[in-house]
Amino acid sequence: MLSIFKSIPTHMDYKGQKLAEQIFQGIILISAVIGFVYGLIVEQFGWTVYIVLGGFAVSCLLTLPPWPMYRKNPLPWQPVVPETSAESNQKPPENIQKKKKHK
Amino acid sequence: MNTVLSRANSLFAFSLSVMAVLTFGCFITTAFKDRRVPVDIRVSRVLLKNVDDFTGPRERSDLGFVTFDLSADLQPIFDWNVKQLFIYLSAEYATKANSLNQVVLWDKILIRGDNAKLNLKDTKSKYFFFDDGNGLRSNKNITLTLSWNVVPNAGILPLVVGSGHVSLPFPESYENTKSY
Repeated sequence: MLSIFKSIPTHMDYKGQKLAEQIFQGIILISAVIGFVYGLIVEQFGWTVYIVLGGFAVSCLLTLPPWPMYRKNPLPWQPVVPETSAESNQKPPENIQKKKKHK
Repeated sequence: MNTVLSRANSLFAFSLSVMAVLTFGCFITTAFKDRRVPVDIRVSRVLLKNVDDFTGPRERSDLGFVTFDLSADLQPIFDWNVKQLFIYLSAEYATKANSLNQVVLWDKILIRGDNAKLNLKDTKSKYFFFDDGNGLRSNKNITLTLSWNVVPNAGILPLVVGSGHVSLPFPESYENTKSY
């Protein structure tokens, strides 16, 4: 079950995560205000609930999948250093070598 | 770690918190409302019998039959925090044994969207008006009151007594029960 979820790409970069959070909070707060006012006017609290649920659905669509807009600021990783790691991949390193590498 | 599930979790939790705040707002906008409404009760016929009360002590108890007219417009009570009203007509009187007796004679559940204008003519009471002794005969002051419970979406469950009640004396003598 969980492996199915793990196979879906869900990555967002850090700025994307912040953006997604701000977007869903904004959408739900706005829909809450609209729903409250509308429910107060038509005297039906059910409409308030429905409008907030609508906002919930919209923000699910917008912020749950990792859309490209949340991946515009990838972290600048260090470029791959080819030498030692390539050698160690070819030959299984001995214990002493491994300890040195960790230091 | 930020995954779809963790985002869904925070989104859901935030929505629930907002919903709780809105529900509290719904309560607070209606909490201080006056839900009293004028009620017009008229009693058209009163009949008093003295019969065996098989539920209570094996003695003859007073049984009253009250036929009443009732008109009230309960529409102003309904707002966005009212699901239904439980309306009941109760009789209050004092006897030697008890300083306060309350008997529910009739009730009705008004659901939101029902016709809230009550207009009853010559309605018989739904429940038996039994006294637990002989306190009904020649009782000078029996008061009929209409009250209602307001069942809300959120918040307290107020019990409102309608303004407008009728007091009536009960007859001095029993009606003869011919076929019993």
